[in-house]
Amino acid sequence: MRLLTHNSLKNNSAAAKGKGFPLKVTVAQIRVDEQDGIDDDDDDDTKIRFIQGILPNIDWPALVAASQAMGIPTLPPTLTEDLAENRVFLVALYHVLMNVHLVQGILTCPVTGREFVVQNEIPNMILEEEECEAVRF
Amino acid sequence: MSRPELTGPAAHFYNEKEARKYDSSSRMVGVQREITERAIELLRLDHSQPAYVLDIGCGSGLSGQVLEEKGHFWLGCDVSRDMLLVAQERMHNQANDDDDDEGESDDESMDGESNKQQRKSTGDLMHHDMGTGLPFRPATFDACISISALQWLCYSNAAHQNPRRRLTRFFSSLYTVLKRGGRAVLQFYPETAEQAVLITECATRVGFAGGVVVDYPNSAKAKKHYLVLSFDRNSEQKRKAALKDGLSSAAEEPQSVLVTGASREGAKKAPIRKKKGVKTKEWVVHKKETQRKKGKAVRPDTKYTARRRPTKF
Repeated sequence: MRLLTHNSLKNNSAAAKGKGFPLKVTVAQIRVDEQDGIDDDDDDDTKIRFIQGILPNIDWPALVAASQAMGIPTLPPTLTEDLAENRVFLVALYHVLMNVHLVQGILTCPVTGREFVVQNEIPNMILEEEECEAVRF
Repeated sequence: MSRPELTGPAAHFYNEKEARKYDSSSRMVGVQREITERAIELLRLDHSQPAYVLDIGCGSGLSGQVLEEKGHFWLGCDVSRDMLLVAQERMHNQANDDDDDEGESDDESMDGESNKQQRKSTGDLMHHDMGTGLPFRPATFDACISISALQWLCYSNAAHQNPRRRLTRFFSSLYTVLKRGGRAVLQFYPETAEQAVLITECATRVGFAGGVVVDYPNSAKAKKHYLVLSFDRNSEQKRKAALKDGLSSAAEEPQSVLVTGASREGAKKAPIRKKKGVKTKEWVVHKKETQRKKGKAVRPDTKYTARRRPTKF
């Protein structure tokens, strides 16, 4: 599970009442891909365009907290406008979001304490039918 | 050919053996690839801007791979852990292979990334049951794709599983997690026409605009159903108008809500009855339309609708 994925994941059970975000990360094992070397500009461009596309949606405090739990203390506490336009920062942010994987661990809902296990880099988000929100059908 | 959906839950059908079979059959891979390409075509993504795409029922990652070739990033969900493990293997092999796995030189793929020999996968995987709703924050994804997965929601494998409820839960959560202006294309195999209607109904009732595209409608074997969903009924007309005006509409801009007559029908006053106790045909037809919009089962309108019966019964 990447940090990018974690930033969107929430507990949508009925008990969480819509507030099941962000999930607290408890780490057992992490894997960090090699940061790509000085690639040709094309590759960097794609990365930057992608990051620029998703940046408005990133919950920064959640990202900082999760990255610290996963052993990356280097993200700034707030995202300033200069940083958001700095190419080097954006490429580094790409590395943090895309190349840091939680291999084994637990994600905990901040409201209900419900635990989601991450095994083999795959988080298990399956809810039982009773846990699901009621829906009018 | 018997339907796998009738044998039990998807997680049981796609066990380790079946998952390997699925991924190794070149015919299967070819078919799924074609379907994915068509679904991506229907998504009308701007391939020059990498999008964040949700892949429902991603299985062994075939569809994700095609998305990657077009330069996009994806997150795949599947209820079968065995399929997800196969997907992981595929992504791992892809990152380490020297040859270009994909074979076909697709003219569609935009950037030079697909010619790179070592390419890390831009996809991530999640073990999840789509019938329980999507556990993401609102407006997370630019688009959603699903290949041959949706029909599994129509079969209930336990007493507490209600297909209509699961479908509604899935679609209403999809409505939330997609960005406004995003689209969803879900290819599925309906067993009957009623199933196709059920699925489409559940989707439109939560607020999506759109419908079903049927490819090869005359061939029973080749026929493919694509549920194409979007947010604005008038988006196509607006795009055409914008193009006509010479504006480039490459990026989806947030559009103002256009309230048209079509969506405000409910506020129309019901036709007045002729005299007390006698319901006019107009009133009956209007009432039936209202009930249809609520999603209730209503008999079709025929020449007999609201006809005065000859004898009292």
